Amino acid sequence: MEAAGCRARALLLPLWCCLLAAAPRRCAGQTDLKSPQDIQVYVVNTNFTLRWNYTGNDTNVTFSAEYQWLDPKTSETEWKELPGCQNVTDTECDFSSAITEYNDEHLVRVRAERKEDKSPWSSVYEMIPFLIAQIGPPEIHLQSINGVIKIQVSPLESNQDRKMWNLSSFKYNLVIWENSSDAEVRSQNIFPVDTISGLAPETTYCLKVQAILYYQEGLFSPIHCVKTTRKVNYLFCPANLKVSALNMQFHLHWNNPYKQHVNYTVQYLLGFAKQLHDDHSGKWLSVPRCENVTNTKCNFTSIITIISAFYYLRVQAMSEYNKSCLSKEVKIDPLSTNEIGPPSIRVDISDVLLHVQISPPGGDENKVMRERYYLSYQIVYWKNSSDNEEEIKVKEIKQTIATISDLTPSTQYCVKVKAFSEAYNKSSPFSNEECIKTPGDKMLPLIILATFVTALISVLVVAVLIIFFLYQAYNKIKYVFFPSCTPPLNIEGFGGQLFGSPYLPTAEEPIESCYVIESIIEEVNQNDFKDYKHSKQSSRDSGNYSNDDDTSGSKGSEGMLEKEII
Amino acid sequence: MNTFGLVQIGLILLCTTTMSSLNCNHLPLQQRKAIENSLQLLDKMGKKFPHRCLREKMSFRFPEQVLKPKQKETVKMAIEEIFQHIFYIFSKNLTLAAWDGAALEQFQNGLYHQIEQLEACVTKKQTQYFWIKEINRLKLKKYFQKIDCFLKDKKHNLCSWEISRAEIRRCLQLIDKAVRKLYN
Repeated sequence: MEAAGCRARALLLPLWCCLLAAAPRRCAGQTDLKSPQDIQVYVVNTNFTLRWNYTGNDTNVTFSAEYQWLDPKTSETEWKELPGCQNVTDTECDFSSAITEYNDEHLVRVRAERKEDKSPWSSVYEMIPFLIAQIGPPEIHLQSINGVIKIQVSPLESNQDRKMWNLSSFKYNLVIWENSSDAEVRSQNIFPVDTISGLAPETTYCLKVQAILYYQEGLFSPIHCVKTTRKVNYLFCPANLKVSALNMQFHLHWNNPYKQHVNYTVQYLLGFAKQLHDDHSGKWLSVPRCENVTNTKCNFTSIITIISAFYYLRVQAMSEYNKSCLSKEVKIDPLSTNEIGPPSIRVDISDVLLHVQISPPGGDENKVMRERYYLSYQIVYWKNSSDNEEEIKVKEIKQTIATISDLTPSTQYCVKVKAFSEAYNKSSPFSNEECIKTPGDKMLPLIILATFVTALISVLVVAVLIIFFLYQAYNKIKYVFFPSCTPPLNIEGFGGQLFGSPYLPTAEEPIESCYVIESIIEEVNQNDFKDYKHSKQSSRDSGNYSNDDDTSGSKGSEGMLEKEII
Repeated sequence: MNTFGLVQIGLILLCTTTMSSLNCNHLPLQQRKAIENSLQLLDKMGKKFPHRCLREKMSFRFPEQVLKPKQKETVKMAIEEIFQHIFYIFSKNLTLAAWDGAALEQFQNGLYHQIEQLEACVTKKQTQYFWIKEINRLKLKKYFQKIDCFLKDKKHNLCSWEISRAEIRRCLQLIDKAVRKLYN
């Protein structure tokens, strides 16, 4: 009937015909089976559940699903029947057995069926199981002992061949509360094998645990309730465990308030053991030289073989009645627990440079501190002067040698250094103070000396010049006012007075010494000419000593002077 | 009594959290040192690779693109996940490998410490949230699952362990290279 109808319509609308032929056969106008909606896949560990909604008439309707596994190696695109989801009456089904490759993409679709009627396929649901999987609830075992609860979380999927999860990634969150009204709920992180302490004795507590992977929280386990026992507190139990570490030397101290004869053994556990699901109670080892000791301290440096690792320590006490008691555990992260000791310094001075040589804490041989802490040093220096206003200067360096240059001479400076680690936010105490005095200015004495010498020389030079000039002046004065020459013999009678002051005019000329020579000339002939000359000369020589004939005159005067002096 | 217990628990938690006080800015330096240590211990664990195991050698094809830095935070998460996978592999039945137990334990201990530090230094919760859906996470899982299946098929015999050890060694070296590139 439909076919006839189809053929009839074929002449008019070929496309429609093809579509109708492909579509599930139904009468036009009849209520069709609706396809399922809101198809969802829920995955918990390796359990796969397909869920959908069906809004149509669901009497005698069954559902069937198909899936595709997109194998990255092949390019198959075949739809296969989904086992566990064939002819189901519910709107959900379990198809865990079908999926084996949890890291590959899968496609799922479902349709409704009623006898021969089949609805269209629902929209396809794409999924990669690993990315949509939820973490299932863990299985837990509890043991109530001595006032505490020992808890053991079984690994997820422990009995399965195919696993969704990688176990070591999980952390466990415990939620615990007292089984009474208005009880406070507290949550804490626990290891797979752990002890819950801090509980009231003989009280019922209820708890549940979930596994957490990064930010993803898994489903909670069912709630377990357990009653704590009475707490038997041995008085000789070691308490107040304290770790002190300096320069990578580790010590544990504890005390025993009950001064009985007790033997102690310090035990340690490597940190990673707690992350495993096995019971690590048998993995505790004794610290060498801290077995069966009676003192309450232990040097456990020898067990720290790797610096970047966690360690746990506890003390076991054994009383003389063969009763033992375990202390609480202490967790150690060597680089964080250790304290850096002060460095030691040596200062040296040369000119106006202060050299500081730093020995790292722990000594020069101890490379561990330097290498793991990436130590830097802070140098603090100041002028050690009498006034209170000392300007403290700070210098930070990464090397072990520093030079300080901005110093004033002839001053005492004090230096102290501390080491610090930016990586671990730790700093050491300051080293001892070392004080040293800067030498005086060498230039100053030289300058003084130079100045003195220059002054001396200049004074000497000036003195010599002055003396020279004085001498010259003296000579001149002496020459002018106190001449040493005698006038010539023919100018006798001038008197000693004349020699004393040659330039001073005399009051009178002793005219009586002059002769009138003209009378002699009249009587004389040629010979008289000579005489005339001579007389002329001598007449001219009358009076003042003349300078006309300097050389002869002066010679003559000198000769006369000599005569006179004699 | 309840409040006292709470205070005690709180103090214990406080102590454990302040224990790893590494400044995360210095994590890469610390990481390189830790990986160097891990490689030394890996070598120390056993002897030289036995020649007779060469014919059983398999190519696992480590997904190197996982360590290509798109975002620093994603690569940090990838490194943490790789360490966790390695930690998981080495916590299996190792009796047939006949390796140095002390070196193996130290190796595990060092690895665990690195995982904890990386976890403490992942600053954004968002990074973790997105990492859960990250496709690279799948690639890593496939790679390590291959090694796991290989060990199971060979029933954890000596050669399978030696081949796995060589593969892990290569893994750590790739991480070291990535850390160097990431922070330079």
